[in-house]
Amino acid sequence: MVDFLQALVDGVMLGATYSLLGLGFTLIFGVLRRLNLAFGPTILVGIYAGSHVGLAWPGALWAVVAATVVAAILCGIYVERCSFRALARQAPVVSMISTFAVWMQLQELVSLFEASRTMPYPSPAWLPALTVGPILLRSDALLMWSGATAIMLALFVLLYRTRFGTAVRAVADSSEAAALMGVNVSIIGAAAFLLASTVGGLAGVLIAQSQQQVTPYFGLWATVKGLTAMLLGGAGSLPGAVAGGVILGVVETQTLWHFGGQWRDLASFALLFLVIALSPRARSEPTL
Amino acid sequence: MEFYLSLLTLFGFRILLGLSAYVVILTGQISLAQAGFYALGAYTAGAASSMWGWPIFPAILLGGLVGGLFGLLVGFPALRVRGLFLVIATLAFTEIVRMVFLNLKYTIRVGDRTIGPAAAEGFRGITYYFQNGWSSLQIVAFTWFFVLVVLLAFWLMDRSRAGAVLRAVGEDELAASSVGINLTAAKVAAMTAGGFVAGLAGALYAHYATYVSQEDFGVLLATFAIAYALIGGTGSVLGPIAGVLFFSLLIDGLRFLGDWRNLLFGVLIVAMMNLRPHGIIDVGLVRRVASLLRPGGRKAYAGD
Repeated sequence: MVDFLQALVDGVMLGATYSLLGLGFTLIFGVLRRLNLAFGPTILVGIYAGSHVGLAWPGALWAVVAATVVAAILCGIYVERCSFRALARQAPVVSMISTFAVWMQLQELVSLFEASRTMPYPSPAWLPALTVGPILLRSDALLMWSGATAIMLALFVLLYRTRFGTAVRAVADSSEAAALMGVNVSIIGAAAFLLASTVGGLAGVLIAQSQQQVTPYFGLWATVKGLTAMLLGGAGSLPGAVAGGVILGVVETQTLWHFGGQWRDLASFALLFLVIALSPRARSEPTL
Repeated sequence: MEFYLSLLTLFGFRILLGLSAYVVILTGQISLAQAGFYALGAYTAGAASSMWGWPIFPAILLGGLVGGLFGLLVGFPALRVRGLFLVIATLAFTEIVRMVFLNLKYTIRVGDRTIGPAAAEGFRGITYYFQNGWSSLQIVAFTWFFVLVVLLAFWLMDRSRAGAVLRAVGEDELAASSVGINLTAAKVAAMTAGGFVAGLAGALYAHYATYVSQEDFGVLLATFAIAYALIGGTGSVLGPIAGVLFFSLLIDGLRFLGDWRNLLFGVLIVAMMNLRPHGIIDVGLVRRVASLLRPGGRKAYAGD
């Protein structure tokens, strides 16, 4: 029972970062109606940049965070230029294959500059671990959860309490109607992309400080987690993506606990396949 | 000579893989499951010939049948989703197959050697060709026998009602269903045929390579399968062959770039998709060539 509870708590903490990745996917998919498979690799580049800064100036955590987020945003702009702005809106599959090509580029770029492949990532080690009864809350997991929750709250205030947020949701609902109401659809699209890249970069910081290292496979990993979180939540719903991320996190930690580490990734892919096969939303037009 | 023979064998696997993606794309679906079928074919056929002592021909066919069976199973969710989500679902399928083989441990001992899928270490000892003393020429002939049979079958299919049905579904599902075409049957049939051909390709590859590992069957392989068919064009069964030639020349032609090759590779795919969105051999080109070959062809085309 305690094991189950411990795995549940770990899952919720881990799941909070999946929720962030899912929100990044949902923002892009909701507003542009296209999947950005290069989202994970964008974050990968950010984390590598952060890792380098961390090696150059040990102890300067704020610089690491800034480098990670800025690099992720720059990569996001590159993806937007190559795979979204350049290609017609009517061709979502072409656009997605193009993001796959960009993914290959980014992953190759990282592999080319890193001989060792595995890079360390600094983590605030001074934070203490908490124990609540028999449950242990690791400091990095706690930071992951609280950081992700804070970012999500800020994001929801931005999207549901400001004019900009209303415009983003209007475009996601119907870009034609939003355009008729005087919303500049292409600017909102680019802004949503920037916002998603920022959220992705911050999620990258939180995940990397917990894992304390990064390999080029992080790109695929992050893309799959984000996609699964988004689809579990119903492909296009912002609160859904948050819930989806938490569900994915709990399923993963429970699988890890009961069946062992090698089945963990299998569980998340199986969940992704089942969700698409069974979800009625995967067929219909999503709304944000 | 040896080099060209092995290159020809490799082309055989790639063309089969391209054809398996081609038949699915005809119905307007983009599937990344082809790498999963390929892996299933490779592992089953390898086990059949090297562990269960089957003769080579039934072993290869078994690989194809298992690929086809899974094609049938994956084909059903494909009825519900399309476009982007089908791509993601089939990507998940390929990764699931890969993860299962990463964990599958099923080995036997033959003499002093261990044969069979040994989880992360891969499947060693698929040595039927070697044990029976096949020459490279025999391997090429055996591989190309399957390639030619599949090419012929798809060519005949394209000229029959079945081909027209698949293309009609790919062009416009609504129009196809309103003239009485069963969309479900067409899509599942295409997926099953694609699974069978990919399974055959994997089975042949496993015997050629003698060693397979789940690492060989990732998303990259699946993307190549689609790229062969899309860049080559789906206007004719010759399209995937053009795609394989294009990519193989590109891969070897760009070798001087070293590690930077993959960077340029992505750019070239995007550029190609913009220049010829329907591939090298598209429906228009097929019609043009066909009318040129007919007596008095040029005029017939001009009047088209």
